[in-house]
Amino acid sequence: MEALDLLVPLIAQQDGKAIALGLGTGLGAIGPGAGVGYIFGKTIESVTRQPEMRDEIQSIMWLGFALTEAIVFYALMMSLVAFFLAG
Amino acid sequence: MTRRIAAALTPLALLLASPAAALAIETNKEFKPQNEFKLDPLVEIKLGPVDLSITKAVIYLFLAAIATCLTMVLIARRMGQEKPGRMETAIEAAYDLTNSQITRGNIDSPRMAGKWFAFIATLFFFIWFNNMIGYIPLPTNTEHPIEILGLSIPSFALYAATANISVPLALTLVVWFSYHVEGIRAKGPIKYLKGWIPAGVQGKIVPFVFIIEVLSQLVRLVSLSARLFANILAGHLLILLMAGGMVVLLGVSIGLIGSVILGVFTGGIAILFYLFEVGLVASLQAYIFATLTAIYLGEAVAEEH
Repeated sequence: MEALDLLVPLIAQQDGKAIALGLGTGLGAIGPGAGVGYIFGKTIESVTRQPEMRDEIQSIMWLGFALTEAIVFYALMMSLVAFFLAG
Repeated sequence: MTRRIAAALTPLALLLASPAAALAIETNKEFKPQNEFKLDPLVEIKLGPVDLSITKAVIYLFLAAIATCLTMVLIARRMGQEKPGRMETAIEAAYDLTNSQITRGNIDSPRMAGKWFAFIATLFFFIWFNNMIGYIPLPTNTEHPIEILGLSIPSFALYAATANISVPLALTLVVWFSYHVEGIRAKGPIKYLKGWIPAGVQGKIVPFVFIIEVLSQLVRLVSLSARLFANILAGHLLILLMAGGMVVLLGVSIGLIGSVILGVFTGGIAILFYLFEVGLVASLQAYIFATLTAIYLGEAVAEEH
């Protein structure tokens, strides 16, 4: 019985960490997801409007894509910190 | 057709979503995915408190450094030949990307661009080789050695030196200090700090804007290093989990047939992710790092914002 009393908070803490990892990454993916979609949508719009600008628009698009996409990984990194390092 | 697939998948989705089923899933506690990124010293070198042991990350860095040196020498030797072959065309393209697009496209003054082109091109190739070598299976995994004729040989594994925070952080620190030093050299310390405040900001709000600008300079340290590190780490983790980690984790509770079905399914996803990482992310992250370096350098010496 004493062993169980010691074990229960430990399990609860492990579960909490898993929830933190999942929630942190999942919520962090919403914004960049919308952002990446917006970037590609706007690129399609611009290229159909001005096809001769295609190369220039595409190089800016990849810059914007990489900058936006990285935000998911900031969330993932912080979640991993919570998962592995938090008390 | 879609409706039929949906009808077939509904029980599975319900099973996975229901709390009772989720609680019943046992995971394999012995398998620790994070150990794939653990750095065991292969050759121990210790100078007092400083640990200079050669780990697998150091081997990857050496390989990337050698490849970078060879590429730079090749570019220097083969540029501007009379009859360009296939090799020369590729070299021209690499030179054009690093010189015209990344460096000269973002640094306005031609003198500055000429001065920093070698640095930015080296950064680009070093990070690119680091990322690409990371997707070639190399015998560096000491976690699960294979025993052949009494010799324990490290098993083949995917690992990238850039998936370790210290490598991107060191590169970022070099970039961060060089652009500040270059800015101060070009304008002098007072004028350089004044240049941080955007044009048109006047009056009492200036100190607040200045504090925000100082913070944003510090955040660049985190964002530049974490972008590269986290992209590569997440890519490798995804490939690891999809290519077998998931089956190993869940294998104890879903049985043999379930494992095979799950393995075939996640194996396909793993191949897709691998192609995505090799084809896009590895090159894109090297490109972004070099481009941002050029932007920061150009911004530090620019006369007006």
